[in-house]
Order: sequence, then C-alpha cells, then structure tokens
Amino acid sequence: MSLKRIRLLIWKEFIQLRRDPLLIRLLLIMPVLQLILFGYVVAVDVRNLSTAVVDLDRTATSRSLESAFSGSGYFTITQQLASENDLRPLLDSGVVKVALVIPEGTQDRLARGEAAPIGIIVDGSDSQISAIGSGYASQIVAQFNTDRRDALGIQLAAPGIDARVRVMFNPTLDPINTMIPGLIAAIMMISLLAIMSQAVVKERESGTLEQMFVTPIKATEYLIGKLTPYAALATAQMLLVAAGGLFWFKVPFNGDFWVVFTGLFLFMFTCLGLGLLISLVSRTRHQAQQAVMFIMIPTMVLSGFIFPIQSMPAIIQPLTNLIPLTWALQVLRGAFVKGSGFEALAVPMLALVGFAVIIFGAAIVATRRRISE
Amino acid sequence: MRQALIRIGAIVRKEFRHLGRDPRMLLAVVIMPVIQLLLFAYAISFDVDHVQTVVIDLDNSPASQRYLRQYEASPFFDVVARGRSLADVDSAFDHNTAQVAIVIPSGFSRTLAADESAQVAVMVDGSELNAAKVSQAYSVALNQLYSQELTRDWADAQGLDLSSLGLLEPRIRTWYNPERRSSDFLIPGLMAVIIAIVTVQQTAVTLVRERDLGTQEQIEVSPMRRIELMIGKLLPWTLIAFLDVALITVLGRTLFGVPLRGAAPAFALGAMLFVFASLGMGLLISALAPTLDSANMIALLVAFLPSFLLSGFAFALDQIPVWLQWISYGFPARYMVTIARGVFLKGAGFTELWPEMAALALYALVMLLISAVLYGRRSSR
Repeated sequence: MSLKRIRLLIWKEFIQLRRDPLLIRLLLIMPVLQLILFGYVVAVDVRNLSTAVVDLDRTATSRSLESAFSGSGYFTITQQLASENDLRPLLDSGVVKVALVIPEGTQDRLARGEAAPIGIIVDGSDSQISAIGSGYASQIVAQFNTDRRDALGIQLAAPGIDARVRVMFNPTLDPINTMIPGLIAAIMMISLLAIMSQAVVKERESGTLEQMFVTPIKATEYLIGKLTPYAALATAQMLLVAAGGLFWFKVPFNGDFWVVFTGLFLFMFTCLGLGLLISLVSRTRHQAQQAVMFIMIPTMVLSGFIFPIQSMPAIIQPLTNLIPLTWALQVLRGAFVKGSGFEALAVPMLALVGFAVIIFGAAIVATRRRISE
Repeated sequence: MRQALIRIGAIVRKEFRHLGRDPRMLLAVVIMPVIQLLLFAYAISFDVDHVQTVVIDLDNSPASQRYLRQYEASPFFDVVARGRSLADVDSAFDHNTAQVAIVIPSGFSRTLAADESAQVAVMVDGSELNAAKVSQAYSVALNQLYSQELTRDWADAQGLDLSSLGLLEPRIRTWYNPERRSSDFLIPGLMAVIIAIVTVQQTAVTLVRERDLGTQEQIEVSPMRRIELMIGKLLPWTLIAFLDVALITVLGRTLFGVPLRGAAPAFALGAMLFVFASLGMGLLISALAPTLDSANMIALLVAFLPSFLLSGFAFALDQIPVWLQWISYGFPARYMVTIARGVFLKGAGFTELWPEMAALALYALVMLLISAVLYGRRSSR
C-alpha cells in the first residue's frame, strides 16, 4: 500500500470537486436548509389551533368554557359565530381547524344537574391536527368539570386516584430534541449516498476508470482514496448540523460523546458501502441517482425518522429492522435524549456493526472484482 | 408549423428511445410512484395505540390489580412486562422495551380503603414524541374515569345520588374524514410529492446531460429551434407525469378507498398546471446548473424537500413560523396539495380552488418563460 498514491487520488477527487464550485456550496447549504426545514416544520408543536366558537348559550358558563379553551395555549379563538351554519365555509377553506359549539341552555342544564352536551368539531383532513386537537379538547372539558365541582364546594370524602404523570428525558416534549439527533444521521446518509453513488459511475461514463486500472494503483488504495474525501465532506456536514442543533435550537445533550461517535462511525461505513455498491451496479449516473431515490424514500419513511414506527401496521414494523438508519436513530436518540450508554444500546450497536460489515464488505469485494476484471 | 411539429416529434421519439434503452429508468418513473404510494399509505400514520407499558405493582392487592386491569383493557396500553422495583423502569426505558411505566406504591389499597386519594406514578418516555403526547393525555383520562368509577361505587355504597352534579359532555365530531384514516389524508397530498420527484428531477438533468455528453452541439447545428427542443424534451415527461397522476388516483380510489367528493375536472386541471409548473422548475434548474451533480443536488433541494416538507402534505403549514409560511408560497407543491385535498376530501371545485389554480398557472408561465430566456442566452453564447 502506498500512501503517496492514496494522497494523489484524494487530491484528484478534491480537484474534481472544486471544478464545480456550485456543488460544494450546495453541499454546505443542504444541511443548513434541512436543519431549518426539519427544525421548524417537522419538529413543530401543534399549538394555537385556530378555533371558531358558536356560543348559543351566552352565559357565564359558556364564557368560562371559552376562556378555558383559549387559555390552554392549544386553541386560539379567531372567530365568534352566530350560527352553526357559518362553520362550513370556514372549515372548508381551512381558516379554522377546530370549532366549539355551545348549545342554548347549557348553563341551565348544568344547574339542573343534567349532562350538557357540547359540540367539538375538528378538521379531519389533517390527521395530526384532528388527533391532537380532539385529545386536548376532551382534556380541557374534563378539567372544566373538575374545576366546576370544586368551585361548587362539593367535597366528597370518596376514594380516588391521584395520578402523577411525569414525562421522562424530554419533559417539555419538544420535538426538536428528538429531531436533531435523527437529522445528524439522516444528513450523513443523504449526502454520502448522493455523492458516493456517483463516484465510480462518473469515472466509468467519462472513461477514466480504465485509465485508473492500468496505473499501478491497487484496489485498496483506490478505495481509500475514493472514500476519504467524501467521508470528510459528510463529517463536515454532520458537524454543521450538530452545531446548529446544539447552539441554535439549544438541544440538550445528555449522553456520552463516544457512544455517538461509535454509532456514527459504524453508520458511516454502512452509507459509504451502500453508495459504492450503487455506483458499481449502475450503468449510468442517471440510474445511480434513481437508485439513491429508491433507497432514500423508504428509508425516510420507515426508519422512524419522521413517522413513528409504533404507529405503523404490525406487518410493516419488522421491515423497519432491515433499515440501517432505524438503528442509527436508536443509538443517537438514546444517547442524546436519554443519555443511554453502550450497555443499553448494545442491540442497535451490534446491528450497526452487522450492517457495516456486510454492506461495506460487499462493496469492497465488488470493487476488487470490478478492478481485477 | 408542420416542419416544427415534425422536429418536435423527432425529439419526443428520441427521448422515448432513451427511456426504452434504459428499462430501469422506465421502472423508476412508473413503478417507483406505485411503491411510494403503497409505502406512504400503509406506513405513515400519526395514530398511536398499543403503547408498550410496564407495570410495577408494589402494593399487590386486589385493589391495585383492579386498577391495572383498566390499562390491560384499554386498546391504547399494551402491558408487556411486570417489574418488581423502580430500577426495572430505568432498564425498560433504556432498552426501549417500554414507553410507559405505571408504578403503584405500596399502601395503595390501604389509602383507598380509608376513602382517600391514592397516588400512582405514570412515567412516559419523552423521547418517543407522539407516543408520549398521547400517552400523557390517555393516562390522565383513564385515571379520571377510574376515579369517577370509584366515587360512584362509594356513593352507591353510601346511598348518595351523584347524578345531581351536572357534567359537560364533549361530543367530538371529525369532519371530512370521520374515521380519521391517515391514508385519506395522505394520498391526495402524496400526488404533489410524487409528481415533483418524478418531473423536476428528470427534467433537471435532461438538458445538462446533453451538454455533458456533447450531443448539445449536434442538436444546435440541426435546424431545430430552441423552443422546439424544449417542447420536445418536456412532452414525454408531461405524459409520464399524467400517467403517474392517473395511476395514483386509480390505486388510491380502488385500493385505499379514498373518496372523491369534488369535481374531477378541477382536479385534472390543477394536476396539469402543477405538472407544467414542476417541469418549468426542472427546466430552469437544467438551464442554470453547470454539471449533472449540481443539477441533481438542486433538484433535491428545491423539489424534493419543499414538496415533502413545505407543502402541507404531512405537516401542518399553519403551525410553522410565519416567515417559513411565506417561503412555502414560493413553491408550487403547496397549491397542489390544497387542490388535491380540497377536491378529494372536501368536495371543492373551481369556485373554491381558483386562487390556487391561478397561482399554479402563473408559476408555470413564469418558470417556463425564464428558463426559455436563460436557455436561449446560454446556447447563443
């Protein structure tokens, strides 16, 4: 193995990268853009849902129910309507997402000790909003009932349950805290696949691959020279995302640096291997690019990066184990959010080792065969 | 004019021949959308149930067992393990074997028997966000219900009538999608994402590739005019995009039973305008990008990411910061998602959706014009 040859090859890759200054800039803009998009769009808390109120009761009770809704922070009352018929156009156009209908005589019914129904309408065309909105609405009404009973001074010496619900690790339930660790792994995968997949096929298309093989360069040297620049680029992108997450979004880091490092290191080999394999199998760069998309989309959807794995049907859940990113996410989220160590993360770590060995190994074998052909 | 049509026809044939030569590409533009549809429709959902729950019953009495049965009976919680001490909670959370832990302290039954409120700890793993949010709400509700049940039992035993209290009863109605099926919500929006991926990405590289391969000069010395080349290049992708739209619509209707409540022509027109807008965007990238790599990367940045994240397809746009909302208006995908969802779910037609259609038409026009001008300038150099 000759270090000089490797160095020359790395140099050559960098020269080629520099020839397209736009590409370098794009490679650095991409993580920033993704940080912004994922940080502000995906990791958004459902709050301040625009709500219309149809108050047909117009009493102290109905007003205090309204203020219970607007005071919760989950609902913002933007419209006061005189009739239920006015709701349809507002929900149709999406101006309001939730409507609260308080029928006439609600206060009287309560005073008579009857059950008083109130209507809560949620826009089901957005499943996240309808699920979370209706959950919060029932919680607010339940609290309203309890408060009302307390205010009436009814003290029952009855047995009851006093449940203390505590959210561990991420008490504010801020989505960004689980998004950033995932994004670090996802960025690495996206950019390594996007560039690595083009690496060999590009040389083949321009015919420089044959030239390479008549030089004294060996397969291992070729691989190291080819992989190092891209690994360095991906690392730079990852650091950018990590810095943005820690300093801009103020994501807490509770874990061990070495756990994160080991996990990412293993995952990097998996991604490099995957990119290389695509590059070797594809005949044109266009094919390579399509193959990347073919892998990226299921990975994004099934890994649990954006959509929770638990919410997937039982048949699909085992499939998620075949995706390397799933395991990388477990390691990163475990370390970032829960502060888990090597012992607790042994299974995902071993899975990552397995993927790295198999995929990277296959890539090396395939490259050697290609070169010796 | 006839000459022009012949020349355009030649380019269209050439493009299709390229496609035919590379069956994998054809696979990519026809089979991929189907796979994506199945993937998104089956796998994506924000509904949470069967949350793995570990219970630690330090009281171990009939009262605590009766309380725990509430969790076992609920479809929301899946009691997967019983622990002996609080250390079991840590280990279950660390190893991801449970997301919720319920700890009943010893003395639970004694407190209840003394007609007092017994404390119970419910711990939720906050690193699983959706599960945590919903678990929190459900455990509060479950405990409230059980408390009421206990109170009622107690009142019955004491011979008291509690019905005089009066309660507000929330009646929750979900409009447009009463069963809250995620696929109804996602499939119409998915069209925008899939069309954007197929069309922008493909057209973005089409002109750059000619440049890279050196066939650009050959075309330029032919009598072909630039506008003809552009039309010829775009036509095959327009056809493929329409095919994809039709495919997704048919599969969505038959396989997933997505309702089509509105005016189908409105949807067809919207989809057509969106396809043109996307093609214009791809062409613009193609005219601007110096290399294939950059073209790919830009396509990823301006087509895939915004149509996935800034279109409202899965993530609510009115929840994001205002400055990002303004940016989202700069990408065509959000209009398409509004049109698709409006027609499929809300039964909307031209009267409700004309602003979105106008926006898409304007977008397509501007994109195609700019890229025509840019492309012209580039080749005359």
